[in-house]
Amino acid sequence: MSQSPVVRLQDVTKKIGSRTIIDRISLEVYPGEVFGFLGPNGSGKTTTIRMMVGLMSITAGDILIDGHSIRREFPKAIRHVGAIVENPELYRYLTGYQNLVHFARMVPGISRSRIDEVVRLVGMESRIHDKVKRYSLGMRQRLGVAQAVLHRPKLLVLDEPTNGLDPAGIRELRDYLRKLAREEGTAVFVSSHLLSEMELMCDRVAILQKGQVVDIRSIRREPETSETVQDDVWFDVDSPEEALRALDGLGKGRIEDGRLTVTADRRTVADINRRLVEAGISVYGIRIKTKSLEDQFLEVTRGESVG
Amino acid sequence: MVDFLKLLQNENMKIYRRAATWVMFALVVGIPVMIALAVYLFTPDDLPSNWFITMIASNIVINLVAIFTVVKAADAVAGEFAQGTIKLLLIRPWNRSVILLSKYLALLLFGLIMTVAAFAASFITGVAFFGYAGSPEDMGRNSPWTFMLLWYLYQFISIVVIATLAFMMSAVFRSGGLTIGLSIFLLFAGNIITSILMPLNKPFVKYILFPHLQLTTYLDGGRGPLPQYPMTLEFSLAVLGAYFLVFVAIAWLVFSRRDVS
Repeated sequence: MSQSPVVRLQDVTKKIGSRTIIDRISLEVYPGEVFGFLGPNGSGKTTTIRMMVGLMSITAGDILIDGHSIRREFPKAIRHVGAIVENPELYRYLTGYQNLVHFARMVPGISRSRIDEVVRLVGMESRIHDKVKRYSLGMRQRLGVAQAVLHRPKLLVLDEPTNGLDPAGIRELRDYLRKLAREEGTAVFVSSHLLSEMELMCDRVAILQKGQVVDIRSIRREPETSETVQDDVWFDVDSPEEALRALDGLGKGRIEDGRLTVTADRRTVADINRRLVEAGISVYGIRIKTKSLEDQFLEVTRGESVG
Repeated sequence: MVDFLKLLQNENMKIYRRAATWVMFALVVGIPVMIALAVYLFTPDDLPSNWFITMIASNIVINLVAIFTVVKAADAVAGEFAQGTIKLLLIRPWNRSVILLSKYLALLLFGLIMTVAAFAASFITGVAFFGYAGSPEDMGRNSPWTFMLLWYLYQFISIVVIATLAFMMSAVFRSGGLTIGLSIFLLFAGNIITSILMPLNKPFVKYILFPHLQLTTYLDGGRGPLPQYPMTLEFSLAVLGAYFLVFVAIAWLVFSRRDVS
Protein backbone atom coordinates (compact mmCIF):
# COMPACT_ATOMS: atom_id res chain seq x y z
CA MET A 1 0.00 0.00 0.00
CA SER A 2 1.25 3.45 -0.83
CA GLN A 3 -0.62 5.25 1.97
CA SER A 4 1.18 6.00 5.19
CA PRO A 5 0.14 3.78 8.09
CA VAL A 6 -2.23 5.05 10.77
CA VAL A 7 -0.36 3.13 13.41
CA ARG A 8 3.15 1.81 13.34
CA LEU A 9 4.66 -0.42 16.00
CA GLN A 10 8.45 -0.35 15.92
CA ASP A 11 10.25 -3.11 17.79
CA VAL A 12 7.88 -2.70 20.70
CA THR A 13 9.11 -4.51 23.79
CA LYS A 14 7.61 -4.78 27.24
CA LYS A 15 9.51 -6.19 30.17
CA ILE A 16 8.06 -6.59 33.62
CA GLY A 17 10.93 -7.31 35.97
CA SER A 18 13.14 -9.74 34.11
CA ARG A 19 10.26 -11.26 32.13
CA THR A 20 9.83 -10.21 28.54
CA ILE A 21 6.09 -9.99 27.95
CA ILE A 22 6.26 -8.50 24.47
CA ASP A 23 9.29 -9.12 22.32
CA ARG A 24 10.12 -6.66 19.51
CA ILE A 25 6.74 -6.48 17.80
CA SER A 26 6.67 -4.50 14.58
CA LEU A 27 3.61 -4.01 12.44
CA GLU A 28 1.69 -1.36 10.55
CA VAL A 29 -2.00 -0.80 10.05
CA TYR A 30 -3.26 1.25 7.12
CA PRO A 31 -6.36 3.43 6.61
CA GLY A 32 -9.46 1.44 5.69
CA GLU A 33 -7.97 -1.81 6.86
CA VAL A 34 -9.38 -4.21 9.44
CA PHE A 35 -6.37 -5.74 11.12
CA GLY A 36 -6.67 -8.81 13.30
CA PHE A 37 -4.43 -9.51 16.24
CA LEU A 38 -4.73 -13.19 16.91
CA GLY A 39 -3.24 -15.25 19.66
CA PRO A 40 -4.04 -17.63 22.47
CA ASN A 41 -4.82 -16.27 25.91
CA GLY A 42 -1.71 -15.01 27.63
CA SER A 43 0.18 -14.38 24.40
CA GLY A 44 0.32 -10.62 25.03
CA LYS A 45 -2.60 -9.22 23.01
CA THR A 46 -4.01 -7.07 25.78
CA THR A 47 -0.55 -5.89 26.88
CA THR A 48 0.18 -4.72 23.34
CA ILE A 49 -3.15 -2.91 23.15
CA ARG A 50 -2.53 -1.25 26.51
CA MET A 51 0.77 0.06 25.18
CA MET A 52 -0.90 1.28 21.98
CA VAL A 53 -3.33 3.42 23.98
CA GLY A 54 -0.78 4.61 26.54
CA LEU A 55 -2.13 2.72 29.54
CA MET A 56 1.16 0.86 29.85
CA SER A 57 4.66 2.16 29.37
CA ILE A 58 6.82 0.79 26.56
CA THR A 59 10.15 -0.69 27.68
CA ALA A 60 11.80 -0.33 24.27
CA GLY A 61 10.72 0.63 20.78
CA ASP A 62 7.93 3.06 19.98
CA ILE A 63 4.38 3.26 18.72
CA LEU A 64 3.48 6.01 16.28
CA ILE A 65 -0.14 6.95 15.72
CA ASP A 66 -0.71 9.27 12.78
CA GLY A 67 3.01 10.01 13.04
CA HIS A 68 2.95 10.98 16.72
CA SER A 69 4.77 8.97 19.36
CA ILE A 70 2.48 7.63 22.07
CA ARG A 71 5.39 7.98 24.51
CA ARG A 72 6.47 11.53 23.80
CA GLU A 73 3.37 13.20 22.34
CA PHE A 74 0.62 11.34 24.13
CA PRO A 75 -2.25 13.84 23.73
CA LYS A 76 -1.55 14.31 20.01
CA ALA A 77 -1.23 10.60 19.36
CA ILE A 78 -4.24 9.49 21.39
CA ARG A 79 -6.41 12.21 19.85
CA HIS A 80 -6.89 9.93 16.83
CA VAL A 81 -7.61 6.76 18.77
CA GLY A 82 -10.88 5.27 19.92
CA ALA A 83 -10.71 2.12 21.99
CA ILE A 84 -12.38 -0.47 24.12
CA VAL A 85 -9.82 -2.21 26.32
CA GLU A 86 -11.14 -5.54 27.58
CA ASN A 87 -14.75 -5.15 28.64
CA PRO A 88 -16.67 -1.97 27.90
CA GLU A 89 -16.72 -0.73 31.49
CA LEU A 90 -18.71 2.47 31.78
CA TYR A 91 -20.09 4.49 34.68
CA ARG A 92 -22.88 2.26 35.90
CA TYR A 93 -24.63 4.95 37.95
CA LEU A 94 -24.86 7.28 34.95
CA THR A 95 -27.16 6.88 31.97
CA GLY A 96 -25.78 5.82 28.62
CA TYR A 97 -26.23 9.36 27.38
CA GLN A 98 -24.43 10.89 30.37
CA ASN A 99 -21.55 8.50 29.73
CA LEU A 100 -21.30 9.72 26.15
CA VAL A 101 -21.49 13.37 27.25
CA HIS A 102 -18.71 12.62 29.72
CA PHE A 103 -16.35 11.29 27.08
CA ALA A 104 -17.43 13.87 24.49
CA ARG A 105 -16.40 16.68 26.85
CA MET A 106 -12.87 15.31 26.95
CA VAL A 107 -12.26 15.92 23.25
CA PRO A 108 -12.76 19.38 21.73
CA GLY A 109 -15.35 19.83 19.04
CA ILE A 110 -17.89 17.07 19.67
CA SER A 111 -21.36 18.53 19.35
CA ARG A 112 -24.60 17.27 20.84
CA SER A 113 -25.79 16.39 17.35
CA ARG A 114 -22.72 14.17 16.89
CA ILE A 115 -23.63 12.36 20.13
CA ASP A 116 -27.19 11.85 18.86
CA GLU A 117 -25.83 10.63 15.54
CA VAL A 118 -23.64 8.04 17.25
CA VAL A 119 -26.54 6.92 19.44
CA ARG A 120 -28.56 6.24 16.27
CA LEU A 121 -25.58 4.56 14.67
CA VAL A 122 -25.36 1.94 17.41
CA GLY A 123 -29.14 1.63 17.59
CA MET A 124 -29.54 2.71 21.21
CA GLU A 125 -32.14 5.47 20.85
CA SER A 126 -34.75 3.77 22.99
CA ARG A 127 -32.51 2.94 25.95
CA ILE A 128 -29.88 5.67 25.93
CA HIS A 129 -31.42 7.50 28.89
CA ASP A 130 -31.47 4.40 31.10
CA LYS A 131 -28.74 3.86 33.65
CA VAL A 132 -25.92 1.66 32.42
CA LYS A 133 -26.41 -0.76 35.32
CA ARG A 134 -29.69 -1.78 33.65
CA TYR A 135 -28.00 -2.64 30.36
CA SER A 136 -27.26 -6.11 29.09
CA LEU A 137 -23.70 -6.95 28.10
CA GLY A 138 -24.63 -6.54 24.45
CA MET A 139 -25.94 -3.03 25.09
CA ARG A 140 -22.86 -2.09 27.08
CA GLN A 141 -20.82 -3.33 24.13
CA ARG A 142 -22.77 -1.01 21.83
CA LEU A 143 -22.28 1.90 24.19
CA GLY A 144 -18.61 0.99 24.32
CA VAL A 145 -18.43 1.23 20.53
CA ALA A 146 -20.31 4.54 20.68
CA GLN A 147 -17.81 6.15 23.06
CA ALA A 148 -14.96 4.83 20.94
CA VAL A 149 -16.17 6.39 17.66
CA LEU A 150 -17.57 9.68 19.06
CA HIS A 151 -14.55 11.72 17.96
CA ARG A 152 -14.24 10.00 14.54
CA PRO A 153 -10.90 8.34 15.32
CA LYS A 154 -8.50 7.33 12.58
CA LEU A 155 -7.65 4.24 14.55
CA LEU A 156 -10.21 2.11 16.34
CA VAL A 157 -8.76 -0.41 18.79
CA LEU A 158 -11.01 -3.17 20.06
CA ASP A 159 -9.87 -5.82 22.52
CA GLU A 160 -11.85 -9.06 22.15
CA PRO A 161 -14.93 -7.17 20.94
CA THR A 162 -17.05 -10.24 20.34
CA ASN A 163 -16.78 -11.51 23.91
CA GLY A 164 -20.23 -11.99 25.35
CA LEU A 165 -22.06 -11.11 22.15
CA ASP A 166 -24.66 -13.42 20.66
CA PRO A 167 -24.24 -14.51 17.02
CA ALA A 168 -26.49 -11.74 15.75
CA GLY A 169 -24.54 -9.17 17.73
CA ILE A 170 -21.24 -10.49 16.40
CA ARG A 171 -22.50 -10.27 12.84
CA GLU A 172 -23.80 -6.76 13.39
CA LEU A 173 -20.47 -5.65 14.87
CA ARG A 174 -18.54 -7.26 12.04
CA ASP A 175 -20.67 -5.51 9.43
CA TYR A 176 -20.33 -2.22 11.25
CA LEU A 177 -16.54 -2.44 11.52
CA ARG A 178 -16.17 -3.33 7.85
CA LYS A 179 -18.45 -0.45 6.92
CA LEU A 180 -16.45 1.95 9.10
CA ALA A 181 -13.24 0.84 7.45
CA ARG A 182 -14.68 1.01 3.95
CA GLU A 183 -16.67 4.25 4.17
CA GLU A 184 -14.72 6.36 6.65
CA GLY A 185 -11.28 4.92 6.01
CA THR A 186 -10.86 4.07 9.67
CA ALA A 187 -8.09 1.66 10.52
CA VAL A 188 -9.56 -1.00 12.79
CA PHE A 189 -7.32 -3.04 15.06
CA VAL A 190 -9.11 -6.02 16.59
CA SER A 191 -7.72 -8.61 18.95
CA SER A 192 -9.28 -12.01 19.37
CA HIS A 193 -8.63 -15.64 20.07
CA LEU A 194 -11.60 -16.59 17.88
CA LEU A 195 -10.03 -17.66 14.60
CA SER A 196 -13.12 -18.12 12.51
CA GLU A 197 -14.38 -14.71 13.56
CA MET A 198 -11.13 -13.08 12.49
CA GLU A 199 -11.31 -14.81 9.12
CA LEU A 200 -14.64 -13.17 8.44
CA MET A 201 -13.78 -9.76 9.82
CA CYS A 202 -10.21 -8.95 8.88
CA ASP A 203 -8.16 -8.05 5.85
CA ARG A 204 -4.89 -9.00 7.47
CA VAL A 205 -4.04 -10.94 10.57
CA ALA A 206 -0.97 -11.01 12.80
CA ILE A 207 -0.50 -14.16 14.81
CA LEU A 208 0.99 -13.62 18.22
CA GLN A 209 2.64 -16.28 20.29
CA LYS A 210 4.45 -15.82 23.58
CA GLY A 211 4.86 -12.11 22.98
CA GLN A 212 6.21 -12.42 19.46
CA VAL A 213 4.52 -11.90 16.11
CA VAL A 214 5.16 -15.20 14.36
CA ASP A 215 3.29 -14.40 11.18
CA ILE A 216 1.40 -11.63 9.41
CA ARG A 217 -0.73 -12.64 6.45
CA SER A 218 -3.53 -11.40 4.25
CA ILE A 219 -6.83 -13.15 4.28
CA ARG A 220 -7.93 -14.15 0.82
CA ARG A 221 -11.32 -12.60 0.50
CA GLU A 222 -12.43 -13.47 -3.05
CA PRO A 223 -12.08 -17.05 -4.25
CA GLU A 224 -9.16 -17.36 -6.69
CA THR A 225 -10.42 -17.57 -10.25
CA SER A 226 -7.12 -17.51 -12.07
CA GLU A 227 -6.76 -20.36 -14.51
CA THR A 228 -3.12 -20.95 -13.72
CA VAL A 229 -3.21 -21.22 -9.93
CA GLN A 230 -2.39 -24.71 -8.78
CA ASP A 231 -4.25 -25.99 -5.76
CA ASP A 232 -4.13 -29.19 -3.80
CA VAL A 233 -7.46 -30.82 -4.53
CA TRP A 234 -9.09 -33.75 -2.77
CA PHE A 235 -11.21 -36.23 -4.71
CA ASP A 236 -13.68 -38.20 -2.65
CA VAL A 237 -13.83 -41.64 -4.29
CA ASP A 238 -14.41 -45.23 -3.15
CA SER A 239 -10.97 -46.53 -4.07
CA PRO A 240 -8.21 -43.91 -4.19
CA GLU A 241 -5.61 -46.39 -5.54
CA GLU A 242 -7.79 -47.41 -8.46
CA ALA A 243 -8.60 -43.78 -9.21
CA LEU A 244 -4.93 -42.82 -9.14
CA ARG A 245 -4.20 -45.53 -11.72
CA ALA A 246 -7.11 -44.27 -13.84
CA LEU A 247 -5.62 -40.77 -13.89
CA ASP A 248 -2.66 -42.09 -15.82
CA GLY A 249 -0.39 -39.20 -15.02
CA LEU A 250 -2.95 -36.40 -15.42
CA GLY A 251 -2.14 -33.81 -12.75
CA LYS A 252 0.28 -34.53 -9.95
CA GLY A 253 -1.70 -37.24 -8.23
CA ARG A 254 -0.83 -39.03 -4.99
CA ILE A 255 -2.46 -40.66 -2.00
CA GLU A 256 -2.41 -38.53 1.16
CA ASP A 257 -3.94 -39.78 4.40
CA GLY A 258 -5.83 -42.37 2.38
CA ARG A 259 -7.31 -39.75 0.09
CA LEU A 260 -6.63 -39.02 -3.55
CA THR A 261 -4.90 -35.66 -3.70
CA VAL A 262 -4.01 -33.89 -6.93
CA THR A 263 -2.12 -30.66 -7.47
CA ALA A 264 -3.77 -29.07 -10.48
CA ASP A 265 -5.31 -25.91 -11.93
CA ARG A 266 -9.04 -25.49 -12.47
CA ARG A 267 -9.19 -26.85 -16.00
CA THR A 268 -7.17 -29.94 -15.13
CA VAL A 269 -9.46 -30.63 -12.18
CA ALA A 270 -12.39 -30.74 -14.55
CA ASP A 271 -10.46 -33.05 -16.90
CA ILE A 272 -9.60 -35.37 -14.04
CA ASN A 273 -13.19 -35.55 -13.00
CA ARG A 274 -14.30 -36.43 -16.53
CA ARG A 275 -11.68 -39.15 -16.81
CA LEU A 276 -12.63 -40.68 -13.48
CA VAL A 277 -16.29 -40.76 -14.42
CA GLU A 278 -15.50 -42.25 -17.81
CA ALA A 279 -13.48 -44.95 -16.03
CA GLY A 280 -16.60 -45.85 -14.09
CA ILE A 281 -15.40 -44.36 -10.77
CA SER A 282 -17.98 -42.52 -8.69
CA VAL A 283 -16.78 -39.09 -7.57
CA TYR A 284 -18.65 -38.05 -4.43
CA GLY A 285 -16.91 -34.73 -3.91
CA ILE A 286 -14.10 -32.45 -5.04
CA ARG A 287 -12.65 -30.06 -2.48
CA ILE A 288 -9.82 -27.54 -2.59
CA LYS A 289 -7.57 -28.26 0.33
CA THR A 290 -7.04 -24.61 1.32
CA LYS A 291 -5.67 -24.26 4.76
CA SER A 292 -8.13 -22.36 6.87
CA LEU A 293 -6.77 -19.76 9.20
CA GLU A 294 -7.47 -22.17 11.99
CA ASP A 295 -5.15 -24.78 10.48
CA GLN A 296 -2.52 -22.14 9.96
CA PHE A 297 -2.99 -20.83 13.46
CA LEU A 298 -2.75 -24.24 15.05
CA GLU A 299 0.23 -25.06 12.89
CA VAL A 300 2.01 -21.93 14.00
CA THR A 301 1.19 -22.29 17.65
CA ARG A 302 1.33 -26.07 17.81
CA GLY A 303 2.56 -27.69 20.96
CA GLU A 304 1.98 -24.63 23.07
CA SER A 305 0.12 -25.17 26.28
CA VAL A 306 -2.54 -22.50 26.25
CA GLY A 307 -2.73 -20.69 29.55
CA MET B 1 -8.98 26.61 30.06
CA VAL B 2 -12.55 26.09 28.93
CA ASP B 3 -11.55 22.57 28.06
CA PHE B 4 -10.17 21.99 31.54
CA LEU B 5 -13.42 23.25 33.07
CA LYS B 6 -15.16 20.50 31.12
CA LEU B 7 -12.98 17.93 32.87
CA LEU B 8 -13.99 19.50 36.18
CA GLN B 9 -17.61 19.37 35.07
CA ASN B 10 -17.19 15.64 34.41
CA GLU B 11 -15.75 14.99 37.84
CA ASN B 12 -18.55 16.98 39.44
CA MET B 13 -21.10 14.98 37.49
CA LYS B 14 -19.58 11.78 38.84
CA ILE B 15 -19.86 13.10 42.41
CA TYR B 16 -23.32 14.69 42.35
CA ARG B 17 -25.10 12.12 40.17
CA ARG B 18 -24.73 9.56 42.92
CA ALA B 19 -27.40 8.99 45.53
CA ALA B 20 -24.78 8.47 48.25
CA THR B 21 -23.66 12.10 47.87
CA TRP B 22 -27.15 13.37 48.60
CA VAL B 23 -27.47 11.11 51.63
CA MET B 24 -24.28 12.75 52.91
CA PHE B 25 -25.76 16.20 52.42
CA ALA B 26 -29.00 15.15 54.09
CA LEU B 27 -27.06 14.03 57.17
CA VAL B 28 -24.91 17.16 57.34
CA VAL B 29 -28.01 19.34 57.13
CA GLY B 30 -30.36 17.09 59.11
CA ILE B 31 -28.23 16.49 62.20
CA PRO B 32 -28.08 20.18 63.28
CA VAL B 33 -31.85 20.34 62.92
CA MET B 34 -32.28 17.32 65.17
CA ILE B 35 -29.81 18.65 67.75
CA ALA B 36 -31.54 22.05 67.90
CA LEU B 37 -34.93 20.37 68.14
CA ALA B 38 -33.79 18.06 70.96
CA VAL B 39 -32.28 20.92 72.99
CA TYR B 40 -35.37 23.04 72.38
CA LEU B 41 -37.73 20.31 73.55
CA PHE B 42 -35.82 19.05 76.58
CA THR B 43 -34.57 22.30 78.12
CA PRO B 44 -37.81 24.18 78.85
CA ASP B 45 -36.25 27.10 80.70
CA ASP B 46 -32.92 28.90 80.50
CA LEU B 47 -32.53 28.29 76.76
CA PRO B 48 -28.99 28.58 75.40
CA SER B 49 -28.08 31.14 72.75
CA ASN B 50 -28.19 30.31 69.05
CA TRP B 51 -24.37 30.39 68.99
CA PHE B 52 -24.13 27.72 71.66
CA ILE B 53 -26.29 25.42 69.55
CA THR B 54 -24.34 26.25 66.42
CA MET B 55 -21.12 25.31 68.24
CA ILE B 56 -22.47 21.96 69.49
CA ALA B 57 -23.92 21.03 66.11
CA SER B 58 -20.77 22.13 64.28
CA ASN B 59 -18.53 20.00 66.50
CA ILE B 60 -20.53 16.95 65.50
CA VAL B 61 -21.19 17.56 61.82
CA ILE B 62 -17.64 18.73 61.03
CA ASN B 63 -16.49 15.18 61.83
CA LEU B 64 -19.06 13.89 59.36
CA VAL B 65 -17.83 16.37 56.76
CA ALA B 66 -14.29 15.10 57.33
CA ILE B 67 -15.38 11.45 56.99
CA PHE B 68 -17.48 12.09 53.88
CA THR B 69 -14.71 14.07 52.22
CA VAL B 70 -12.26 11.28 52.99
CA VAL B 71 -14.69 8.73 51.53
CA LYS B 72 -14.97 10.79 48.33
CA ALA B 73 -11.20 11.21 48.23
CA ALA B 74 -10.70 7.47 48.58
CA ASP B 75 -13.19 6.87 45.79
CA ALA B 76 -11.76 9.51 43.47
CA VAL B 77 -9.06 7.39 41.85
CA ALA B 78 -9.69 3.94 43.30
CA GLY B 79 -13.32 4.05 42.16
CA GLU B 80 -12.26 4.43 38.53
CA PHE B 81 -9.97 1.44 38.91
CA ALA B 82 -12.64 -0.63 40.64
CA GLN B 83 -15.16 0.05 37.86
CA GLY B 84 -12.58 -0.34 35.12
CA THR B 85 -13.51 3.09 33.75
CA ILE B 86 -9.95 4.28 34.29
CA LYS B 87 -9.11 2.58 31.00
CA LEU B 88 -11.58 4.78 29.15
CA LEU B 89 -10.74 7.90 31.14
CA LEU B 90 -7.01 7.86 30.46
CA ILE B 91 -7.19 7.28 26.69
CA ARG B 92 -8.29 10.85 25.99
CA PRO B 93 -6.08 13.70 24.76
CA TRP B 94 -5.10 14.81 28.27
CA ASN B 95 -2.01 14.08 30.29
CA ARG B 96 -2.66 12.01 33.36
CA SER B 97 -1.53 14.79 35.68
CA VAL B 98 -4.27 17.09 34.35
CA ILE B 99 -6.93 14.43 34.80
CA LEU B 100 -5.72 13.91 38.37
CA LEU B 101 -5.86 17.67 38.95
CA SER B 102 -9.48 17.80 37.80
CA LYS B 103 -10.32 15.04 40.25
CA TYR B 104 -8.47 16.77 43.08
CA LEU B 105 -10.14 20.14 42.49
CA ALA B 106 -13.57 18.52 42.31
CA LEU B 107 -12.80 16.84 45.63
CA LEU B 108 -11.75 20.12 47.28
CA LEU B 109 -14.90 21.75 45.93
CA PHE B 110 -16.97 18.95 47.46
CA GLY B 111 -15.21 19.43 50.84
CA LEU B 112 -15.81 23.17 50.66
CA ILE B 113 -19.49 22.82 49.80
CA MET B 114 -19.93 20.31 52.62
CA THR B 115 -18.18 22.61 55.10
CA VAL B 116 -20.31 25.58 54.05
CA ALA B 117 -23.44 23.42 54.26
CA ALA B 118 -22.45 22.33 57.78
CA PHE B 119 -22.02 25.92 58.88
CA ALA B 120 -25.19 27.13 57.20
CA ALA B 121 -27.28 24.32 58.68
CA SER B 122 -25.82 24.76 62.17
CA PHE B 123 -26.25 28.52 62.11
CA ILE B 124 -29.72 28.68 60.57
CA THR B 125 -31.20 26.05 62.88
CA GLY B 126 -29.65 27.82 65.88
CA VAL B 127 -31.32 31.08 64.93
CA ALA B 128 -34.57 29.40 63.94
CA PHE B 129 -35.03 27.73 67.30
CA PHE B 130 -33.36 30.14 69.73
CA GLY B 131 -33.40 33.58 68.09
CA TYR B 132 -30.35 35.65 67.21
CA ALA B 133 -28.04 36.92 69.94
CA GLY B 134 -25.54 39.60 68.89
CA SER B 135 -23.16 39.09 71.83
CA PRO B 136 -24.11 35.90 73.63
CA GLU B 137 -23.05 35.43 77.27
CA ASP B 138 -22.69 31.66 77.15
CA MET B 139 -20.00 31.89 74.52
CA GLY B 140 -17.88 34.33 76.52
CA ARG B 141 -16.55 35.94 73.38
CA ASN B 142 -16.91 39.36 71.95
CA SER B 143 -17.49 38.41 68.35
CA PRO B 144 -19.13 35.05 67.83
CA TRP B 145 -18.93 35.61 64.05
CA THR B 146 -15.16 35.94 64.06
CA PHE B 147 -14.81 32.91 66.27
CA MET B 148 -17.14 30.67 64.26
CA LEU B 149 -15.72 31.66 60.89
CA LEU B 150 -12.14 31.14 62.05
CA TRP B 151 -13.17 27.83 63.61
CA TYR B 152 -14.59 26.67 60.28
CA LEU B 153 -11.57 27.95 58.37
CA TYR B 154 -9.20 25.98 60.61
CA GLN B 155 -11.37 22.88 60.35
CA PHE B 156 -11.47 23.21 56.58
CA ILE B 157 -7.68 23.40 56.41
CA SER B 158 -7.46 20.16 58.40
CA ILE B 159 -10.04 18.52 56.14
CA VAL B 160 -8.02 19.51 53.06
CA VAL B 161 -4.89 17.91 54.52
CA ILE B 162 -6.57 14.67 55.57
CA ALA B 163 -8.48 14.48 52.27
CA THR B 164 -5.20 14.94 50.39
CA LEU B 165 -3.74 12.06 52.39
CA ALA B 166 -6.72 9.89 51.44
CA PHE B 167 -6.51 11.06 47.81
CA MET B 168 -2.84 10.08 47.72
CA MET B 169 -3.59 6.64 49.16
CA SER B 170 -6.39 6.26 46.60
CA ALA B 171 -3.90 6.90 43.79
CA VAL B 172 -1.24 4.63 45.30
CA PHE B 173 -3.32 1.66 46.49
CA ARG B 174 -6.04 1.89 43.81
CA SER B 175 -8.34 0.24 46.32
CA GLY B 176 -11.21 2.22 47.76
CA GLY B 177 -11.86 -0.10 50.68
CA LEU B 178 -8.28 -0.09 51.89
CA THR B 179 -8.03 3.68 51.49
CA ILE B 180 -11.30 4.45 53.27
CA GLY B 181 -10.43 2.08 56.11
CA LEU B 182 -6.93 3.42 56.56
CA SER B 183 -7.92 7.10 56.28
CA ILE B 184 -10.77 6.88 58.73
CA PHE B 185 -8.59 4.87 61.09
CA LEU B 186 -5.94 7.60 60.91
CA LEU B 187 -8.60 10.26 61.34
CA PHE B 188 -9.69 8.78 64.67
CA ALA B 189 -6.48 7.13 65.78
CA GLY B 190 -4.54 10.35 65.20
CA ASN B 191 -5.45 11.72 68.62
CA ILE B 192 -4.74 8.41 70.30
CA ILE B 193 -1.38 8.12 68.58
CA THR B 194 -0.57 11.65 69.71
CA SER B 195 -1.51 10.99 73.33
CA ILE B 196 0.57 7.80 73.36
CA LEU B 197 3.58 9.63 71.98
CA MET B 198 3.24 12.70 74.15
CA PRO B 199 4.61 11.27 77.44
CA LEU B 200 7.72 10.19 75.58
CA ASN B 201 8.83 13.77 75.96
CA LYS B 202 10.65 13.73 72.65
CA PRO B 203 10.63 16.86 70.49
CA PHE B 204 9.84 14.88 67.35
CA VAL B 205 6.23 14.76 68.57
CA LYS B 206 6.00 18.32 67.30
CA TYR B 207 6.53 17.10 63.74
CA ILE B 208 3.89 14.38 63.71
CA LEU B 209 0.96 15.22 61.46
CA PHE B 210 -1.99 14.46 63.71
CA PRO B 211 -1.74 17.03 66.51
CA HIS B 212 -1.58 19.80 63.93
CA LEU B 213 -4.96 18.83 62.55
CA GLN B 214 -6.38 20.35 65.77
CA LEU B 215 -5.85 23.91 64.58
CA THR B 216 -8.84 25.17 66.58
CA THR B 217 -6.71 24.87 69.71
CA TYR B 218 -5.12 28.16 68.64
CA LEU B 219 -8.42 30.02 68.88
CA ASP B 220 -8.85 32.50 71.74
CA GLY B 221 -5.10 32.81 72.23
CA GLY B 222 -4.45 29.08 72.71
CA ARG B 223 -0.93 27.70 72.40
CA GLY B 224 -1.73 24.73 70.23
CA PRO B 225 -2.62 21.06 70.54
CA LEU B 226 0.33 19.91 72.68
CA PRO B 227 0.23 21.44 76.17
CA GLN B 228 3.85 20.64 77.01
CA TYR B 229 5.07 22.04 73.69
CA PRO B 230 3.56 25.47 73.16
CA MET B 231 3.60 26.23 69.46
CA THR B 232 2.34 28.90 67.11
CA LEU B 233 -0.33 28.73 64.44
CA GLU B 234 2.34 29.51 61.86
CA PHE B 235 4.38 26.52 62.96
CA SER B 236 1.41 24.18 62.71
CA LEU B 237 0.51 25.52 59.29
CA ALA B 238 4.09 25.00 58.14
CA VAL B 239 4.05 21.38 59.31
CA LEU B 240 0.69 20.77 57.63
CA GLY B 241 1.99 22.45 54.47
CA ALA B 242 5.04 20.20 54.39
CA TYR B 243 2.93 17.05 54.74
CA PHE B 244 0.51 18.39 52.13
CA LEU B 245 3.30 18.86 49.59
CA VAL B 246 4.61 15.34 50.21
CA PHE B 247 1.12 13.83 49.74
CA VAL B 248 0.55 15.77 46.53
CA ALA B 249 3.98 14.86 45.14
CA ILE B 250 3.51 11.13 45.81
CA ALA B 251 -0.02 11.12 44.38
CA TRP B 252 1.02 12.81 41.15
CA LEU B 253 4.22 10.82 40.67
CA VAL B 254 2.53 7.48 41.18
CA PHE B 255 -0.56 8.26 39.13
CA SER B 256 1.36 9.69 36.18
CA ARG B 257 3.84 6.87 35.87
CA ARG B 258 2.35 3.57 36.83
CA ASP B 259 0.98 1.08 34.33
CA VAL B 260 -2.74 0.54 34.26
CA SER B 261 -3.35 -3.17 34.10
